[in-house]
Amino acid sequence: MKPRSLTPRWWLVALLLVAAGSVEAALAAGGTAFAKRLETKLLAEPRPLAAVSGKVGYATKLTVEEARGAWLRVSAGSAAGWVFSGNLSDTPPPEGTGADKLGLSASETTATAAARPLTPVADEYARRGNLGSASEDLNWLLRRSADITAADVEGFLQEQKKGEFQ
Amino acid sequence: MRLRSCIILTGILVAAATTTRAHFDLSNLSRALDKAKEVTDSAKDAGKVAKGVAGIGPEEEKIIGDSVALEIIGRYGGLVRDEDVVRRVNFVGRALTRYSERPDSAWRFGVLNSDSVNAFSAPDGYVFITRGLYAQAPTDDLLAGILAHEIAHITGRHALKIIERNGAVAGGVTLATKYNSDVRQVQSQVNQVDSQLQQFGPGIKGVFKTIVVDGYDAKTEYAADQTGHDLAKLTGFAPGGLRTVLTRLQQTGGDAQRIFSTHPPLKERIKRLPEEPTS
Repeated sequence: MKPRSLTPRWWLVALLLVAAGSVEAALAAGGTAFAKRLETKLLAEPRPLAAVSGKVGYATKLTVEEARGAWLRVSAGSAAGWVFSGNLSDTPPPEGTGADKLGLSASETTATAAARPLTPVADEYARRGNLGSASEDLNWLLRRSADITAADVEGFLQEQKKGEFQ
Repeated sequence: MRLRSCIILTGILVAAATTTRAHFDLSNLSRALDKAKEVTDSAKDAGKVAKGVAGIGPEEEKIIGDSVALEIIGRYGGLVRDEDVVRRVNFVGRALTRYSERPDSAWRFGVLNSDSVNAFSAPDGYVFITRGLYAQAPTDDLLAGILAHEIAHITGRHALKIIERNGAVAGGVTLATKYNSDVRQVQSQVNQVDSQLQQFGPGIKGVFKTIVVDGYDAKTEYAADQTGHDLAKLTGFAPGGLRTVLTRLQQTGGDAQRIFSTHPPLKERIKRLPEEPTS
């Protein structure tokens, strides 16, 4: 029987399967993951309110030791523990000193970034573009958004059983 | 670096404005620059901001994001100032962003006072959904499907890539812009920036046009559909949320100019999304 060579379509399918497998492997046991939050807590058990066994900073490269559902047991040097997979990335985060390239703790980022008014340049842009009403609306939205804290969002996740609280 | 960026973008915005207004008001400009200096100096003192390694940095993104958001709000009838509505979209939106690729950024979700059916995003975490589309999302699962798609545009830096592709940053970084309190020097720098505007590509107006008038290319939209789908699922919302909204809109028919007019055809988007639970 004459051997059949793979058509370009099958090569594409094969490549996609390999690519899918490599992504899967990154967040599976033996794979690599990266911390995408400024501070990621590693927990003693695979549940959201477990004791904190360690913390890692932004972009820390982690080895995935074990996977249990959506939870991963990871390690980086002496730090080890469980983390919800949604808090990790399978690709290195952008270079810089932190998420958004801001060298801040998570709480500082949330507080200062959310509460900020429009930039002065945008203020001027609004003035020159007759966007005064839009500017008032946007400042209103910035204030309303800042009223909702990270703790409020965590409460929402817990109440709605989302994220690590699923 | 940040001040330079502010000055560059100040010039861009000023020039954009002067295309419709011949009068150049230097005193206002100086005032704006003073404000910009105050803000950036404060940030510098705190050591809190660092320019990105490449491309558009966080300070520039704020300015672009604010300005594009203003244009979107201006175009779509302002914001719905309903506390319950804004809290709902922000809670659902921020639940999603917590597991996005930018979990610690500032995110704001607003509802535009327009009965057209559409959603938009602007750099630096601005997501907008029209009142008409909001009405199509009675459950959080459906709302999450819509918002997650827009979040994907921001985490993917789709709008900023338009500017970067057009060499905006390359044009900007060549400027000598060390701040000097001498207004004449600032004026000189602004004029210099002004002359560089021709090289800045689409700038704010161009990004706004892409987002609101033309829309992103289909490939980018399908990618945002997929990333958004994955994000909604990861967060624990029903993965079929976006597909359900799109299917309902398709079934109701209606004016194509008013339903996701800046996105690829509903039929094509639905085809690419898997059939999955909606609650």
